[in-house]
Amino acid sequence: MTRNVVRLAALAGGGALLAAALTVSGSAATKAGPLKIGISLSLSGDFSDSGKAAQRGYKLWANVVNAKGGVLGRKVQLIVQDDTSSPTQAATNYQNFITKDKVDLVFGPFSTLLSAPSAAVANRYGYAFIEPAGGGPAVFKEKLHNVFFTQPAPVLQSADVFAKFLLSLPKSQRPKTAAYPSLDDPFASPIADRVRSLLEKAGVKTTYKTIYPSETTDMGPIIQKVAAGHPDAVIGGTQNNDAFAQVKAMVQQKFSPKFVFLTNGPNDPAEFPSKVGAKNVNGIFATGDWFPEAKSPGNAAFVAAYHKAYGAGAIDPTSAEAYAAGQVVQDVAAKTHSVDNKKVIATLHTGSWPTVEGVLRWNSIGEPQGSDLLVEWINGKLYPVYPSNVALHKPVVPKPAWGG
Amino acid sequence: MHQIVQAIILGVLIGGVYALMASGLTLVFGIMKVINVAQGALVILAAYLSYWLFSHLGIDPFLSILVVAPAMFVLGVAVQLVFVRSLRGPDASELSLLVTWALALGIEGVLSVFFKTTFRSTLPSYADRSWDVLGYNVGFVRVLAFGTSAVLLILLSLLLTRTRFGRAVRATVQNPTAATLLGVDANRVQTLSFGLGVSMAAAAGAVYGVIYPFNPGSHYDLISRLLSIVVLGGLGSLGGAVVAALAMGVIEAIVAVEISPIWASFSFFVVLITFLLVRPQGIFGLRERTL
Repeated sequence: MTRNVVRLAALAGGGALLAAALTVSGSAATKAGPLKIGISLSLSGDFSDSGKAAQRGYKLWANVVNAKGGVLGRKVQLIVQDDTSSPTQAATNYQNFITKDKVDLVFGPFSTLLSAPSAAVANRYGYAFIEPAGGGPAVFKEKLHNVFFTQPAPVLQSADVFAKFLLSLPKSQRPKTAAYPSLDDPFASPIADRVRSLLEKAGVKTTYKTIYPSETTDMGPIIQKVAAGHPDAVIGGTQNNDAFAQVKAMVQQKFSPKFVFLTNGPNDPAEFPSKVGAKNVNGIFATGDWFPEAKSPGNAAFVAAYHKAYGAGAIDPTSAEAYAAGQVVQDVAAKTHSVDNKKVIATLHTGSWPTVEGVLRWNSIGEPQGSDLLVEWINGKLYPVYPSNVALHKPVVPKPAWGG
Repeated sequence: MHQIVQAIILGVLIGGVYALMASGLTLVFGIMKVINVAQGALVILAAYLSYWLFSHLGIDPFLSILVVAPAMFVLGVAVQLVFVRSLRGPDASELSLLVTWALALGIEGVLSVFFKTTFRSTLPSYADRSWDVLGYNVGFVRVLAFGTSAVLLILLSLLLTRTRFGRAVRATVQNPTAATLLGVDANRVQTLSFGLGVSMAAAAGAVYGVIYPFNPGSHYDLISRLLSIVVLGGLGSLGGAVVAALAMGVIEAIVAVEISPIWASFSFFVVLITFLLVRPQGIFGLRERTL
C-alpha cells in the first residue's frame, strides 16, 4: 500500500515536472502580449553603481524599441529583480524568471561573478543568455552554447589590440624592450601576460616583470626597478588606483618611456587626469569597449537618447553594453521573425551583429571574436586610435615627455 | 648597489610619514592604555579635509595642517570626553578597541556618503617635482612630507620633555596614581593627550593625501601597518615608533626592489615576529621607555 502511494506520488510529480517543462519550452513560441525579458541586476551591494548603469541601458533600449512598436509587434516589458550583488541570488532570480514569471527571454546581470552561475541556469532551461558584463574566463570555461557576451572581446584578450598595434608600426618605431609591472588580480595581470607573450614572440625583449599585491600603496620602489632596465615600453596589467600610482611614480622619477600602456585607469576619462595631473596624461594608452564618439552602428542615436533620458552627464560604458544586448535581440527578431530561444541561439552563432559595441560575432561558447578599441590620450583628450577603421585620431608615438 | 641606496632613500622618506601617524597612536596608548584603532580612519578623515580645503579654497595641503590639526584636536578631545573617558575598570583597554573600531567604521561611513568611494588625490602644482642628487632621484613632495613629519615629531618630543604639560604626561605614563597624588589632573592630561594624538593623525593625513591616492576604505590597510609599527617600536614609545616606521619603510622598499613586491609587506612582518620572539617588549618597550 505504502509502496503504491510512493509510486503514485512519484508518477504525479514526474508528470507535473514534464508539464512544467513543456509549458516553459513552449511559452515563447505561442504567447502573445508583451515580450517579457527577465534581468537580475545589482541594484544594491558592491556592484550597485554598475548594476544601475546596466539598468539605464536596458531601460533605454526598451523605451526606444517600444516607441517604434516593440519587437515583432509586442511591447517589451523588462522584469528586473535586485540580486544584492550576490551570485546565488542572481541564479535564484533567473530560476524564478524562467519557471515562475515565464519570461520570453533573459538578459545578463553585472559582472563575471554573477553571470557565470546565471548562465548555467539559463542553459538548463534552454534560454539564450545574452549578457553585457560577464567577460571573464569563469563565464566561458563551462563552454555553454547559449552565452553571448555583448562586448567586442573577452576581458583577458582586451589588450591584445595593443600588441597588434605595436607590431603594426614600422620596425624603427617599435619598442625593442618592455617591462610589465602588474597587479595581482584575475582581471589585471593575465591581460598583460598575454601581451607579453605576443610581444616576446615578435622579439620584444622583457627587461622586467613583476606582480604586486593589491595592498601596495607605494609604487616608488617598483617603478624604480622598472626604470633601471630602461625599457622602451611599460605595459601594466592594472586596475584604477594602482595605475594612477604607477604614472605618478614614473613622473616623479622622471622616467618617461616611449610607450605606456595600462589596462585600466587611463580609460577613465573623468578620473585619470585628476589623479595624475592633466598635463601628464598625453601619450598614455589603454583599451575600452565603447566610446561616446564611436562610429559603431546606432551609437549616435543611443548617445542622443541617453542624454535625453538621463541628462548630460558622462555615460558609463556598462549602459552601452546593456543596450547592445537589446539591439542583438531586435536584429534576431527582424531576421527570423521569432524570439524563440532555440532559434535565437542558433541564429546568433551565425553571421555578425551590428551594435553600439561594434559589429559582434561569437564562437561556439559565446566569446566575441572582435577586438577592443585601443585608446590614447592626445592633447588632454581620450581618443580611439586603433584599429584604424574605428579610429577617431591618428596614434601619437612616441609618448611626449611628462608635462608635454 | 645603486638600486639599494635608491630604495633606502625612498623607504626613509616614506617611513617618516608613517612615524608621524604612529606617534599619536603610541602616545595615546602610553598615557591611557587605549589602543586607538580609529587612528587610520582619522588620518584618512584629515586627508579628506585637506583635500577639500585644497580643491575648494586652494589652500596648500601642507599649510592646511595649520587648520586641519587644530580642528581635529578639538574632535579628538570631544571623542575622548564622549566615548573613551567613560571606559573604566580592568577591561578598559579591550573595550577601547571596540569603541575606537566603531568610531573608525563611523568615520568611513560618513566619508563614503559625502565623498563617495572613488579614490582622491591632493595634487598641488609641485606634486611631480623631483631632484637628482648624486644620481639618485628624490621626490620633492616626499622630502617635504618627511621634513614636515620630522619637525612635528621634534615639536611633540619637545612638548613632552620641556613643558609642564609634558612632565604631567610622563608622570601619568609612569604612575598615574602617584601623579594624581602630586596634583596632576589625570583626566585633563588624558583628554588633552588624546586630542594631541588625533591632531598628529591629522597632520599626517594632510601629508598622506599628497603622496597616495585614498578612499574611505584606505584606513584598514593603514591601521594594520600602524599597529605593527607601534608594537615593533614598543607600545608607548615615541622613539621606538620612529625607528620602527623607518625600518618598515626601508625593509619594504629594499625587498620590493631586490626580491619582489609580493614579499614586501610580508617581509616586514617576518622582521616584526622575529624581533618580538627575541625581545617581546619591542625596540624601546616598557623598561626602557623614553617618552
